[in-house]
Amino acid sequence: MTQNNFLTKTLNDTVMTRRSFLKWSAAIGGTAALAGGVDFGLKAIEGAAAAGEEQTLTVGCYHNCGGRCILATKVKDGTILRIVPDPTPASEETDEVPRAIPCVRGRSQTRRVYAPDRLKYPLKRVGKRGEGKFERISWEEALDTIASEMTRIKETYGNEAFYFNYAWGVTWTGPDGSSIIQRMLNLNGGYVGYYGTYSEAAYGVAMPYILGGYAGNSADDVVNSKLVLLLGDNSLVTRAGGDNGGYWYMKAAEKGTKFIVVDPILTDTVAATQGEWVPINPGTDVALIAAMAYVMVKEDLYDKEFMATHASGFTEDTLPEGAPRNASYMAYLMGKGYDKVEKTPEWASTITGISAERITNLAREVASVKPCAIIQCWGPQRRAYGEQFVRAVPVLAAMTGNIGIHGGNTGQLPGGGYCPMGGIPVPPNPVQVSIPCFMWPDFVTRGTEMTVEKDYIRGASTGWSANAGDTTTAQQNKDLRLKSNMKFMWNHGGNCIINQHADVNNTRRILEDDSKLEFIVTVEVGSTPSTMYSDIVLPGTTGFEVDNIITGEGHGIKGNHAWALFNHKVIEPMFEAKDDVWIAEQLANRLGFGDEFREGHNTREDWLRDMVAGAQASVPDFPSLEEFKEKGFFKLQGGKPFVAFEGFRADPVANPLSTLSGKIEIYSPILANLKNEEIPPIPTYIPEWEGVSDPLREKYPLMMMTTHFVARSHSTFETVDVLQEAHPQCFWINTLDAKKRGIKNGDMVKVYNDRGIVHIPAYVTTRVRPGVTNMPQGAHFTPNADGVDTRGCGNTLTNYRPTPMAKGFTAHTNLVQVEKL
Amino acid sequence: MDTREWALLLFTILGQAAAGLMIVLMIVRTYIAGKADSALADRLTDRSLYMVVPMMALALFASLFHLGSPLHIVRAVPNIGSSWVSREVVIAVVFVAFAALYTFMQWRKTGGEGLRVVVGWIAAIMAAALVYAMGMVYMISTQPSWNTFATPVTFIVGSLLLGVLGMAVGLVAGYTANGNKNEGKATGLFQTILQGLAMTAIVLLGIEFLVLPIYMAYLASQGGAAMQSLGMMFTSYGTVLFFRLFILFAGAGVLAAYLYRNASVAEKEKTLATLTYSAFALALVGEALGRFLFYATHYRIGV
Amino acid sequence: MAKQLAFSIDLNKCSGCKACQVACKDKSSLPIGVRWRRVFQYEGGEWLNQNGQMVPSNVYAYSVSSACMHCVKPICMEVCPTSAISKRDDGIVLINADMCIGCRYCSWACPYGAPQFNEEQNVMTKCDMCFDLVDKGERPACVESCPYRAMDFGPLDELQAKYGTFADPAPLPDASITQPAVVYLPNKVTKSSGNADGRLMNLEEL
Ligand SMILES: Nc1nc2c(c(=O)[nH]1)N[C@H]1C(S)=C(S)[C@@H](COP(=O)(O)OP(=O)(O)OC[C@H]3O[C@@H](n4cnc5c(=O)[nH]c(N)nc54)[C@H](O)[C@@H]3O)O[C@H]1N2
Ligand SMILES: Nc1nc2c(c(=O)[nH]1)N[C@H]1C(S)=C(S)[C@@H](COP(=O)(O)OP(=O)(O)OC[C@H]3O[C@@H](n4cnc5c(=O)[nH]c(N)nc54)[C@H](O)[C@@H]3O)O[C@H]1N2
Ligand code: SF4
Ligand code: SF4
Ligand code: SF4
Ligand code: SF4
Ligand code: SF4
Ligand SMILES: [Mo]
Repeated sequence: MTQNNFLTKTLNDTVMTRRSFLKWSAAIGGTAALAGGVDFGLKAIEGAAAAGEEQTLTVGCYHNCGGRCILATKVKDGTILRIVPDPTPASEETDEVPRAIPCVRGRSQTRRVYAPDRLKYPLKRVGKRGEGKFERISWEEALDTIASEMTRIKETYGNEAFYFNYAWGVTWTGPDGSSIIQRMLNLNGGYVGYYGTYSEAAYGVAMPYILGGYAGNSADDVVNSKLVLLLGDNSLVTRAGGDNGGYWYMKAAEKGTKFIVVDPILTDTVAATQGEWVPINPGTDVALIAAMAYVMVKEDLYDKEFMATHASGFTEDTLPEGAPRNASYMAYLMGKGYDKVEKTPEWASTITGISAERITNLAREVASVKPCAIIQCWGPQRRAYGEQFVRAVPVLAAMTGNIGIHGGNTGQLPGGGYCPMGGIPVPPNPVQVSIPCFMWPDFVTRGTEMTVEKDYIRGASTGWSANAGDTTTAQQNKDLRLKSNMKFMWNHGGNCIINQHADVNNTRRILEDDSKLEFIVTVEVGSTPSTMYSDIVLPGTTGFEVDNIITGEGHGIKGNHAWALFNHKVIEPMFEAKDDVWIAEQLANRLGFGDEFREGHNTREDWLRDMVAGAQASVPDFPSLEEFKEKGFFKLQGGKPFVAFEGFRADPVANPLSTLSGKIEIYSPILANLKNEEIPPIPTYIPEWEGVSDPLREKYPLMMMTTHFVARSHSTFETVDVLQEAHPQCFWINTLDAKKRGIKNGDMVKVYNDRGIVHIPAYVTTRVRPGVTNMPQGAHFTPNADGVDTRGCGNTLTNYRPTPMAKGFTAHTNLVQVEKL
Repeated sequence: MDTREWALLLFTILGQAAAGLMIVLMIVRTYIAGKADSALADRLTDRSLYMVVPMMALALFASLFHLGSPLHIVRAVPNIGSSWVSREVVIAVVFVAFAALYTFMQWRKTGGEGLRVVVGWIAAIMAAALVYAMGMVYMISTQPSWNTFATPVTFIVGSLLLGVLGMAVGLVAGYTANGNKNEGKATGLFQTILQGLAMTAIVLLGIEFLVLPIYMAYLASQGGAAMQSLGMMFTSYGTVLFFRLFILFAGAGVLAAYLYRNASVAEKEKTLATLTYSAFALALVGEALGRFLFYATHYRIGV
Repeated sequence: MAKQLAFSIDLNKCSGCKACQVACKDKSSLPIGVRWRRVFQYEGGEWLNQNGQMVPSNVYAYSVSSACMHCVKPICMEVCPTSAISKRDDGIVLINADMCIGCRYCSWACPYGAPQFNEEQNVMTKCDMCFDLVDKGERPACVESCPYRAMDFGPLDELQAKYGTFADPAPLPDASITQPAVVYLPNKVTKSSGNADGRLMNLEEL
């Protein structure tokens, strides 16, 4: 089949599977009215550029895996032929600056662009919300409706009824993306912002209390490590392509670095680095760390001098003034702390499921092999008491003296460089109040009752950064209140309305009542469970249909260099898809502030040129827009791998951390002040609800995690057929647990708890700890007539119960029962 | 099993039945040749002959459903030097051509008796070659459940069994159609031939009964993919295996034995007819089940 | 006579991501169900109860990426009734779609499951070693796609000189059957063909 045939076929399929958008509604029992043909797509193809000539153009992979890998596409006659990797010639690749070869997801992009479930035209909800009945409308009508609803809601409830939802479908791209919409919303009088992330809420909030903020050696520094201890880090899947963590871990393994991976799953990271697997009971890492610290103390294996000069609260004599006696970490370890329990390997063994002997050996090895990079990732903090884990890991890094040296690390995630690029300017938000991003359903149901002290609502959002969720600073106005419940939501390339948020069935109930949250706008490329709950759905362009500039963050886990990428428009927008700049500008025009919105940017290129100017201001040899576009990318080399806290290590007084004491604050006086048992001043093991020792296990015996999956970036790529084929969605269960239930590999099973039911094929494996299961997150919630999810959406079963301090998602802490279907 | 394998099942079973019939027919004719005139021989055997070509045509037609591009079948000719599939295709076509020619000549009684016998024998030899080629097709080194002596042996034995019982069907039909006009000579010949056929069927069934356990023991001894096949025969397809054995031995076998005992009782024409037709039908079903197992339980070495 | 071309895969560098499989499907527009390159997930070991504690015993897992091996002794070619399957001078084994009658004997014979039937075109298809790219001096799409650079491509003897001659990790068949033009570099846990205690895990292969 030629590529052209492939395309025509996909388009034909598109017509036929137009109904797939409506399958969901059909399942619920509604019928749908969706008029129209497909002539738009065909027209787009006819009108495409450069007939006959094959071109190779760079595009970026801009999803929230964080990777920003460099893709190129072969295009001909306005049709994508295929994806090829980073066009840097292989001969120019060096160990320091590798080519950014995309992962399996990036590889499949063509099928996302030409997906049968692409949204084709603006849609308006006609049935009850969630019922899935939509009608095709014109862009004119869609934009008019949104503008008039915005005006009505602003007049009725004020700007504090507006919310811009957490969403990562188009980010770190420009000029499209969140910023351009936020610019428009702010010119309209603003909206309630959010702070923190679904990803690393606990990390973002808790880390500053021990290390003052984010700092890790760059990922390429692991090649200098003799030993790497990973805790809940599956970078071979979650930082897979380009020059992200996964790449550097493999480089290190190749050079002989030994990996030890603490994870309930024998992940691809364990397998690929051929590391030692320490299969731990979920939610118990803090106990493991305490016991390792105990062994190091008992056997005198830790860096006493470093701890004396660089840490506070490790021992009694370094406790800050005013701290009670026996409040130090040492007291906690030695059984003199609040619980009077010695943190022996035997103690930890019963909790973690790891033998005392293994714990002891692990402690000895980690303490003696130098340099050792101790790295935590975000899985274990997306749990009931995530904050404790976040602050426990750096203690090990400090005790072993691995902070501030090559091949060591701070106990945080590795850091990494990114290319500074001008962004779309967002004028200040007139609404000076924000909520923890995960708590938005509460904003809908009881926004005006939310408080600073209980719900951690805050002043202006600082977005995503260290201290982003600092809920304790003195200047917080304790009387801060939201003036309205949420009435308007803009969901921009996000699936957190339904799919990606905890407890789907709970969220559905809240949203089905459209007298509460009155109006939801979603901009999407495909049909998702969230579009089903929207009132207006706008078809957005994919990156392949519009010029963009992509910069990266790589979730911090990158080598010490970075790039900016020119993302070419390689095909005409499919169907009636429109880009974000156009959408925002059209609304600005209707709302009467078009000129302020444009601020002299009359074309898309004007915005692009602005971004380039921003980069040129900080990187002198950054090329002109024309050169940049021609080459497709600009790589910035950072030289040697970066070492975090080098200065602090050398002289902690001259180069203090940004903690209160300037030291590694193992005992935090600020947290002590909270006097909250769930937020203790030292990193403490707190048994989880729905965790290993919860009595609820009698009813729901299996712990269930919902990890990030190789075949998707969250729910993005979910409907890509070649990825579904390569990595089928399935439920991981240990062979012994499966045997007890008569389940064989590939059998359909029913997974359930009080919150929902899922039908899904079982993956019966020795690669997961007995008692632990996993339902990779991101599959589209697809209920049948009985409300049973038939696709394997983990959030059918997760709990809308946030972490104590960051109010973060506890996605991995769940109990379930499983039966063979 | 998918459509394509069903097509193969029909092709091999019908093809082997036709081939077996052709061979048995020529043997029977040779036997008759010294004992009666050709008119009687024709009367006793022509009905069997008329079954050959339709069966084979049906077989070939079915085989097309196995191919992805049946219209390209001619392309299979050139590789006759190396491929058993090519040989199978070519031999099948030659066989059906000669069988058709022979049938036509018998029907019109043209071409002279001597020539007819020669043409008939060419068809029979082609039939034998076809059965052999069919077996060889499955002698693929990476298919241990196929790549054994049992494949050609069961193909040959199965083919002869269907041929023998098919012959009996034609014989009985030809004999009974003549009503009471059968003279003593005809009756005598009819009875000896029928008895001979019934006896042969029992012997052939015996061979099958012998081959099966040896085959299974062989598979068990091979381990790996062979063992997988064996496992499937007893687990997923255990019932089929049971029915196959039951139908073939308790069904066809017992009927053949009855046939043998009753063949000489001339008055029982009706019973004879019922016995013969049932035995053939059961053998056909039994063999088809066997072939189903053959296709359903093959397990390739590798991934 | 050109040299026999071959793949090599370093199992020390393979994460089982299947970028190679998807890159191949992207390059050749393969429909669902046809996977010219497949990645087998293989695992073994068990969990034991030791004094009330569950401990893994020799639990291991690895992945084996495999496509048509462009064998030195291509059994597919031997059994093909037409001359649809041919082996080029450089060893690339190709199926000529115009010659194929779709009889499937090659797929019954090939121990690598390489020939796969394309229901849309009604012919047998398989990895063509991206000969169009190779003829232009480029490397096959799958080889280029591996994020961890686990794959290499070149003349078999050169790859063997570089990486050794191991060609049959479990769950692949014994290399003596068809003499595949491939080199695998085993990792610490790789088992050899015929290993009985491991399991092929891929749900899509069930
Ligand atoms: N159970 C469970 N749930 C989780 C997690 C977990 O670990 N377990 N993790 C959480 C985390 S860390 C996060 S960050 C969130 C992420 O949640 P989201 O940010 O909602 O991420 P996605 O599900 O990928 O949704 C992005 C949407 O953007 C769309 N999109 C892609 N490209 C474009 C484009 O170019 N334009 C437009 N307009 N749309 C586009 C995609 O189709 C997709 O539906 O999920 C959270 N949910
Ligand atoms: N392929 C892919 N990559 C992605 C994403 C994606 O959706 N798909 N999403 C991106 C985003 S937005 C984010 S936030 C990151 C998320 O990256 P992470 O948070 O690191 O990813 P997770 O899969 O949630 O968790 C990582 C590992 O933690 C383990 N884990 C869970 N609980 C515990 C525990 O209690 N103790 C220990 N030791 N381990 C535990 C899990 O088994 C898992 O293997 O990934 C990014 N990268
Ligand atoms: S690693 Fe992330 S950015 Fe890179 S190709 Fe994969 S999904 Fe895209
Ligand atoms: S792309 Fe590379 S790492 Fe991924 S499965 Fe293929 S060979 Fe393995
Ligand atoms: S792998 Fe199979 S298809 Fe490929 S050459 Fe070898 S035998 Fe033929
Ligand atoms: S399917 Fe095609 S290539 Fe394979 S053996 Fe038959 S004719 Fe040859
Ligand atoms: S060489 Fe080409 S055709 Fe063969 S598996 Fe690799 S990408 Fe596919
Ligand atoms: Mo995230």
